[in-house]
Amino acid sequence: MDDLTGKVLVQNVSKRFGETTALNGCSLTISPGEVHAIVGENGSGKSTLAKMISGVVLPDSGRVSIFGRSPRDPMEARALGVAMIFQEVLVAETLSVVDNIFAGTDSLWKRSRTRAVARRQCRDLLKRFTETEIDPDTIVRNLPLSVQQWIVIARALLANPRVLILDESSAALDLDASARLHTEIKRLRESGCCIIIVTHRIAELVRIADRATVLRDGEVVDEFVGADINESRLLSAMSAKRIILEAKAAAASPANRVVGDVVLSATGLEIERGAPQFDFKLCAGEIVGVTGLDGQGHGDFLRIAAGLRAPSGGTVSVLGRDARDAFQVASGASGKSVAYVSGDRAREGIFPNLSIFENFSLPLYRSRFGEYGWIKRRPLKQAFDGEVRRLSIKVGHESNLITSLSGGNQQKVLIGRALAMEPKIIVLDDPARGVDIATKQELYAQLRKFADQGGAVLYLSSEIEEFFDFADRVLVFRNKSLFRTVPFELFSEHTLLAAMFGEPDETAFHPMREGFVRA
Amino acid sequence: MAAPLILAALAVTPIVLAGRGGVDLSVGPLLGFINVTLVKWLVENDYASPIMVIAYVVAAGVLYQIVIAAIIIYVRVAPIIVTLSGYLFLSGINLVVLDRPSGVAPDWMLDWGSGISILSPVFYGLIIMIGFWIFFSRTVFYQQIVLTGANERMAFANGVNIAGARFGAHIVAGVFTAAAALAYTALIGSGDPTQGNTYTLSAITALVLGGTSLAGGTGGGLGSILGAINIYLITYVLSTYNFGTVSGFVTQLSTGAILVLSLLVNSLMNRRQ
Repeated sequence: MDDLTGKVLVQNVSKRFGETTALNGCSLTISPGEVHAIVGENGSGKSTLAKMISGVVLPDSGRVSIFGRSPRDPMEARALGVAMIFQEVLVAETLSVVDNIFAGTDSLWKRSRTRAVARRQCRDLLKRFTETEIDPDTIVRNLPLSVQQWIVIARALLANPRVLILDESSAALDLDASARLHTEIKRLRESGCCIIIVTHRIAELVRIADRATVLRDGEVVDEFVGADINESRLLSAMSAKRIILEAKAAAASPANRVVGDVVLSATGLEIERGAPQFDFKLCAGEIVGVTGLDGQGHGDFLRIAAGLRAPSGGTVSVLGRDARDAFQVASGASGKSVAYVSGDRAREGIFPNLSIFENFSLPLYRSRFGEYGWIKRRPLKQAFDGEVRRLSIKVGHESNLITSLSGGNQQKVLIGRALAMEPKIIVLDDPARGVDIATKQELYAQLRKFADQGGAVLYLSSEIEEFFDFADRVLVFRNKSLFRTVPFELFSEHTLLAAMFGEPDETAFHPMREGFVRA
Repeated sequence: MAAPLILAALAVTPIVLAGRGGVDLSVGPLLGFINVTLVKWLVENDYASPIMVIAYVVAAGVLYQIVIAAIIIYVRVAPIIVTLSGYLFLSGINLVVLDRPSGVAPDWMLDWGSGISILSPVFYGLIIMIGFWIFFSRTVFYQQIVLTGANERMAFANGVNIAGARFGAHIVAGVFTAAAALAYTALIGSGDPTQGNTYTLSAITALVLGGTSLAGGTGGGLGSILGAINIYLITYVLSTYNFGTVSGFVTQLSTGAILVLSLLVNSLMNRRQ
């Protein structure tokens, strides 16, 4: 029998966050000197699993054992030699490089090294990693993101970890830098460190991983070892067919759409400074899906399209106006054009301490329901009743708090609110998050009806099966830019996932559809 | 003469540095509280030996901060509310203890404030406390406070005890408030239940003027010291002009204006970067 105290064991762990199950009975074993990759779609629980091993998140049930001990918080995990590099670049922006790299290395009463030594080590490390000279006293805010990423990596490596967890750590690094990171990882592997990599760069992990665990919906579905790890196997394990409700096909079918005039167009759009530019057009009567892996820029694109945020380069025009102005107009007196519905209800959607009716009507006061600063009560009430009927929202009394409704019904109120603005374009940011399947079907049907009446829809979702039989085409984002546009004829789990994971396109690319990448 | 203000500004500094909207609006009244209780309870009952006095003021400052810190950190009430309540509460208590300026400072302290030369004992006391601050700002603990204020999640993920850092910041603040109260008592030579309150506004102005961000994580003690001296000098200069009956208000007015101006300059500078 193996000596289990020398390994990292995850035994049957489960974790729920409110309504959603992040992990459901996961087990895996990581041996010293092994690079263990954890892969899966968005929301498959891979980051949660990584956080659990580092003690940031505690399991609801099951056990994490690191060399025979179970850490209860990050400090204990550190003491056991666990170092984690998080998905977000966790730096203290207002402090210097040295302070960031050596954060938490000193004990309260004893410094691990003098300031001069720390400075020198810091300079050497960053020189090795970035191949440029960086002054240890620079304020981190003034450094590019890739260097900030290296700071975080340097911090983890300094601790001489026995367990190193990298959660999408190469996201901010270019190819050359990733290669240097791999060298570091290999060096650590030689020294007997347990290395856990969470990544969505499949090509990368094929090169480096000794073992790969595939997660889907919080469960371990497959495990590959050594030479068995290849791209097509991983992709098919991640995308194994799920039950897709028949009802969806009936609800909305995109075939043979009549496409109208261009309502939104973007030229030379640059989501983040330095990201590849691209063009995009949205026409009346179209439903366009937007997706990508976490942090690949699709969320930013949506906010730019809705006019909530300015792009770092390029222009977006809505019905001939600049998108930023158009959004202002949407809440203004006339010419309503763009409505935005957020899936993050708690933060961007509802006013939790107001009633259902107030939640419905607040953004409408300044549109057609207001006149010279006075609210026209009766039309507003009629619109509310109309939307409640149309979307079959289950409301109690309209003056009850919005929070008395279920999540799905709250979302319906918000969508009703957007429809009542009578916009030309509705932009939805993952609106079906945490909503049951029946509500989703109604939502698709309503949006399809909206599009048929000459509206245009931009619909972001991280669950790709939402797009089937619903969207006319899907924009897949990668590296903060449009990576590929998939037309509905080619929809399948495989084509979409392959695009999300940056696989080269094996099907014929359709350049006649707009949305090609400008390189 | 600027000693109480410098010390009060230093007292608020670690709390603000530790972030999450940390601030102590009650420094002024706490300073006043220590002042009046020292005069009323200790001196009038003949417990006025230096050791007794110093032990008492430090204990009072630290105890008060422990209570405040516990409410802010563990009950999670917003610092501004808690310390504002503290401000009002202590202002009232001060008037209960001493309803008008009266009493005398301990005998051994009386000649401290008669500042004929700059090198008075108050000045030496100030130097000692600044020395203590320099020592404090070089500790790992101080670094942990700054880390917590700069990026709480990062500090947590790197094994910093966030609650501990914030709690400690409050305790240090208690010690400095005590020192400020002592310097204040020495300077006025008696007890005053209301004048202490004005130190809240000046101390926070001094801190902001010294470049400490109210969002936490940036700034430091040196800035607060310079800021406090600045405020003191401005007040001093203004008091030499004759504004007639409104002179008292002009000081307050200018302190407020300076605070707004320095915040404005600060945010404009940040935007240009």
